[in-house]
Amino acid sequence: MSEKITFKELVDLIAEQSKQSHASANSFVHELVKIIESGLKTSGSVSISGFGKFELRWMNERSGIHPQTGEEITIPAQNKVVFKPFKALREEINKPYSFLKNRLISGEYEAIPAGFDEEMASESGKSGTATPNRDTFHDSPKDQSLPTVDELLIIHDNPHFSGGKSLTQMDSSIAMPPPIALPDEDKIAVEVQKAGTFKWSYAAAIIIALIAFILLFYMMSNTTEPDITQAPAQSEQLLVSPESPAEITENDITDPEAPMVPDPDPVVDTDDADLPVQTEFTTEVYSVEPGQSLWSIAESRLGNPYLWPLLYHLNRDILDNPNQLPEASDLNIPSISNPDNLNSFEREQVALGYFSLYEWNRTNNPDEARYFLWAVGVFSPEILDSPPSQPDPDDLAFARNR
Amino acid sequence: MNYSELINRLSDRTGNSSEKTKDILGDAIDVLTRQLMDGKGVSIPNLGTFGTRINPEKKVYNPHYDAYIMVPRKRVVEFTPASGLKDDVKFIGGEDE
Repeated sequence: MSEKITFKELVDLIAEQSKQSHASANSFVHELVKIIESGLKTSGSVSISGFGKFELRWMNERSGIHPQTGEEITIPAQNKVVFKPFKALREEINKPYSFLKNRLISGEYEAIPAGFDEEMASESGKSGTATPNRDTFHDSPKDQSLPTVDELLIIHDNPHFSGGKSLTQMDSSIAMPPPIALPDEDKIAVEVQKAGTFKWSYAAAIIIALIAFILLFYMMSNTTEPDITQAPAQSEQLLVSPESPAEITENDITDPEAPMVPDPDPVVDTDDADLPVQTEFTTEVYSVEPGQSLWSIAESRLGNPYLWPLLYHLNRDILDNPNQLPEASDLNIPSISNPDNLNSFEREQVALGYFSLYEWNRTNNPDEARYFLWAVGVFSPEILDSPPSQPDPDDLAFARNR
Repeated sequence: MNYSELINRLSDRTGNSSEKTKDILGDAIDVLTRQLMDGKGVSIPNLGTFGTRINPEKKVYNPHYDAYIMVPRKRVVEFTPASGLKDDVKFIGGEDE
C-alpha cells in the first residue's frame, strides 16, 4: 500500500456520497466505530454486510523474542482483532487480477525441475512490481494458445506437411510430446540448450523425437492416400497457398511450420490485401480527462479494456509512452461493433497495436516486451508471421510457443 | 453481532431510521471500497488501518490432483487494528474460547 488518504478526506467523500454534512458523516463513522468496538467486546464478532467481518481470535500463550533486547520472552495469551473481507469485497479488490487463473503444473514439469524452477523464480521475483501490462495477456482463451493434440495430428497427417523442421521450438517450452518428426537430433539439442529451460530432459526429448520420427514414418506409409479425405478443410487451405503455411487459420497459432515463414512476407501481404473487408475505422475524437489511462478509456469507450493497444496504435502521432497520457489531448476512438467478437480487420489492428507496444517496450522495458509480441499472435497470427518490422528472434520464439 | 443488530444500534445512536442508516452505511462502505480499489489505504481512528497488498504468485500443493498448482498473484485487503482497539479487547472472554 503506497498511498493513503486521510480520515478527513474519507469522511468528506462519505458525506458527498450520502448527501449529508461533513459533521454528521463524521459522527456517523465515529458511532460506527464505537459500535464495532462494543460489538467485539460483547459478542466477539461484528459482520457488516457487503464488507466483511471483524472478529476476535484468541491467541494462545507463545514464546517470542523481544525485538529490541533480543531476549526470549513469553507473550501472554490474548485476543487479536482480525478482519475477514467478504467475498464481494475480495472480488472487487482483486478485480485487476481476476482473470489470472490457477495453473496446474503437470507431472511433466515436475520431471524437469531445474530450469523450470529458475524460470518461476525469476517470474515471481518480477511480480512484486506488478506492471499490469504483462497481465493483459493472460486473458485470451486458452484454446487459442495451445493447439489440441488432434489439431497437431491433422497437420501431421497431411501429405503437404513438409517434414517438421521446426518443432523443436514447441518442445522447448511445453513438454508436450506431439508426434512430430525431427529430422536432426543434434539440432534439437542445440535449440534446447539455447532456450535454457531444461537441462534434464535432453535424453527424454531425444527419445520422444525418435519415437515421433518412427511414428511419422509409419503414418506416412499408411495414410498417404486416405489423407485427403481425412482433412479436407486443411488441404483446401493448403491448396490456396501451398507454400505459405501462414495462411492456415487462427486456430493453428502454434503451427509447427510457422517458424519458417517470416521470410516470404510479400506473399502474405498481398493475400491479406485481397480480403474484401473493412479497411478503416470510423473514429470519433475524445478528449482525455485527468486520471484516465488508455486502459480505462478502452474499457469505457470500446467495451473491453484489453483493446487499449488499439487506441495506442491509432494515436501514435500523439502518444509515445503508452503509460502516460498527455492531459487534455484528443484521441481518435474507433467504433467497435462487438468488443467480444472482433472481425478480422479489428483483430489485425489490435495486433498491430500490440506490436507497436512491443516495439516501444523493446527499447524501454525489454524484460516484458516479449509478452506483447505474444499478444500479437493471440489476436492475429498473420501479423506475427509477417510483422511490420523484424522482432527479436528469441521474443518471436517465445511468442509462438506460449 | 450481525448486520441487523448493527443497523439497529447505529440507528438508535444517530437518530436516523434504519433504512436511512443502511443507506449511509452502504455509501460509507462504497467509498471505502473504492479507495481500496484505487490502491489507497485509509486509517480510521480507534478502529484501524485498511489497505491493500499484492500477494505474489505462489506454488501450492493440491492433494486432489496430487500436483502443484501456480496460484496467480492476487490483491487482498489488509487490516491492522488500531492499538487502542487492540488493547481494549485484549483479554475479553478469552478463557472460554
